[in-house]
Amino acid sequence: MGLLDKLSAWLGGGRAELTVLVLGLDNSGKSTMLNALRPPELRAQHVMPTVSHQQDRFQSGGVSFSAWDVSGAPRHRALWERHYRAAHAVIFVVDAADHLRLVVAREELELMLAHPDMFGRRAPLLVFANKSDAPHALAPMLVAAALGLEKISDRPWHVCASSALSGAGLADGVAWLAAQLRDAHVPKRN
Amino acid sequence: MVTITRWLDVEVGTGDVGLNTLPANLALLDLQNDNEFKLVVGDLGRGDEGPKLKVFKGAMQTADMLLPDLPLAIAGFYANEVVPRSTPLIAVAFSSCVYIYRNMKPFFKYYLPSIELSTLEMDVWNQLADPNNHSTEALTIISETLKTIPDKILSMQSRNFLSLTPDEQLEYLEQKSETPTWKPPEIVCLTTLKLSSVERYSASCLVVGTEDGDVIVLDPQTLTQLSQAKLSSVKKTPYQMVATGLYNVDYRITVATREKSVCILKRDWTEGRLLFSTQDHIIAIEVVTSDNSIMVICTDNTMSCYTRKGKKMWCVTLEHRPVAMTTVPVMHLGVTLIGVALASGHVHLYEGKARVDTIFVRDVVSVMKFGRLGQEEHVLIIVSGSGNLMLKILKRTADFNSHSAGVEMSPSVAAGQKPWLIPKKSKLFLEQSMRERENALSMHETFQFELNKLRLLTAKTLLDAHAKSENSVGAGAMELLRLTAEVEGLGPVFRITLMVENTSSDKAVIGLAILFHVHTANYKVTKPYIKIPLLSPGGKLKFPTKIEEVFEDNINPDVFFRPVTGEGGERSLVKILLLKEERRTPVLAAIVQMPPTDPLMLPFDKLQAAGGFQEGTEWDVGGK
Repeated sequence: MGLLDKLSAWLGGGRAELTVLVLGLDNSGKSTMLNALRPPELRAQHVMPTVSHQQDRFQSGGVSFSAWDVSGAPRHRALWERHYRAAHAVIFVVDAADHLRLVVAREELELMLAHPDMFGRRAPLLVFANKSDAPHALAPMLVAAALGLEKISDRPWHVCASSALSGAGLADGVAWLAAQLRDAHVPKRN
Repeated sequence: MVTITRWLDVEVGTGDVGLNTLPANLALLDLQNDNEFKLVVGDLGRGDEGPKLKVFKGAMQTADMLLPDLPLAIAGFYANEVVPRSTPLIAVAFSSCVYIYRNMKPFFKYYLPSIELSTLEMDVWNQLADPNNHSTEALTIISETLKTIPDKILSMQSRNFLSLTPDEQLEYLEQKSETPTWKPPEIVCLTTLKLSSVERYSASCLVVGTEDGDVIVLDPQTLTQLSQAKLSSVKKTPYQMVATGLYNVDYRITVATREKSVCILKRDWTEGRLLFSTQDHIIAIEVVTSDNSIMVICTDNTMSCYTRKGKKMWCVTLEHRPVAMTTVPVMHLGVTLIGVALASGHVHLYEGKARVDTIFVRDVVSVMKFGRLGQEEHVLIIVSGSGNLMLKILKRTADFNSHSAGVEMSPSVAAGQKPWLIPKKSKLFLEQSMRERENALSMHETFQFELNKLRLLTAKTLLDAHAKSENSVGAGAMELLRLTAEVEGLGPVFRITLMVENTSSDKAVIGLAILFHVHTANYKVTKPYIKIPLLSPGGKLKFPTKIEEVFEDNINPDVFFRPVTGEGGERSLVKILLLKEERRTPVLAAIVQMPPTDPLMLPFDKLQAAGGFQEGTEWDVGGK
């Protein structure tokens, strides 16, 4: 029984939960984004830098997600690859106002996509050009160009401006992701 | 060969930055206290543009401010260690004073203490002030004495006076009412020294070097003089200073001077000492904090390393004229590299005297600095001669092993100017050499005899191994096969991963098989015989096999005393043979020494069956 069969069995059972990996450099707003996706009563007042990783759950478009939020600190980035195998999709959060580190984000993204556990899989990639409300923030298309997303041909990707603090743009991006995963996993059931 | 760069280039906007600055005019500061480090540059200005203090966020200029004069050096520091942190102060040195800026606004001015003129010079001025001497003849005589005073200690006023014609001198003296008794000191360099803690945000003192060879340390809070010291007994002009250590504990200020020498100043010294002299003029110095060794680049195209005591360790001849130097500390790799920018447009990184990386920047570097910018720890900031700003970020995955990308050993390293290390002749050495002279013949014979015995033993062992097929390297046509084994697990079930490798470049091999040779009482192998498929040239195959340690029903409590990390003794040997069809002897053999099973993983039911615990009779801890 393959991975996809297992998945469709879960989806058929109505308890569909897909693992999505939330990646990005430190201070790009990963935890804040997940915090904004929570119901209002469960939101944390202050988001602290994540050490190692934490898990969070949210729902969109009839798909429930189990999100792995991993630390983006340079010395923890080597641990990202441990989660690749289990991930059905990747959310990559970029600080669109941090022009200096766009190259670093690009490098990390390329390393991730070239990893044996990620390469050749059709796991969708959602890029959030976060902090879009900050002064000097780049437009999502410019972020896509800076990250070299146009070169990705082996998986669906989508870039989306967002502001994790206010929650703007998050729902759109997550809805795209849910639609992608439904398309990929639901037909298998029949 | 495709070289993989270790650096990420940051896209710098197309706008012309047009920086014109000096190495001392760069500082990396957390200006807004938001953990986002800004680059602060004291710009000398170009053409009719005046000097400015510019602040860059990443490659983007966010602020600038006009400066009253040409900045000589800038430094950022914290005045105190209050929590929450206050914003850092920026010190900008102008000709004889230091301006302190807080939040980009002038906040304090520090004037250096003025210097009294030498008695000889003062004498001359007193004579000049006397109206009786106001004649051309008298002036020439007095000017002669003024000229005998060395240029270096002469005040600006005297120098100007000497450059005037006698008529102008007369006019000058008549207009002038008072005689000069002091001269304003000129600042030449500025650096910071941590006060009592090495933390990034701890308070630090300002250290000011003057034209007259004084080094003054200022209190961070009150900005008053904490200590003052002469650089050297002979007059020397500092040029670049590097302060290491803590002011309240122990510190060293290493100073490069214009007189081709490096001086050192330590805590509680009133006068510095000459550490070493160089052959040619110094371009820049750096101090490696780990061992206080000093790197110097000179105009004779060399980079030398000196110990903290001033002894020359090595010297490397550079291909081109060096223009700038910076230390590149990479904490997570535990190395401090030295970056040297050359006039050819290359930046070379050295670890010790071995070159580990080369960056080509297409432009002549004017100023180079490595440190934290924005939120990135490892950024190399380069200001080129044409005023462009270049930012390079060190990749997270970069390592500086000397075999990796972009390195070729420079021939000058091998030549080496290091002097021979010849130990002194001790009494022991003399006696030994005497004995060697007397008994040369017998010594030689004994040596030859032992050598032959060793060779015989080697040959015998080899023959033995061959006969027993214990050779781990194949012979003859099978020489190109390699067999390696790897044991994983805590036991009692281990996994042995066998790797069969065909190192031949053109021949494939077929008909191989692996056979495990174990004592069935000790180990159980799931697949004792594995057939190997065709192994292509350069191919490598892995065969993971499970192997289980077998325990008797009556388990011996001795197993508890087997060292966990050590070996399990004779019974733990597993022999793995690589066989080839139609050959009687194995091609290769590998003997694997199995680690003992972790005592916690022992089958518990068998232990209870042994019953050694309940009675405790057969337990004799010391008796083994």
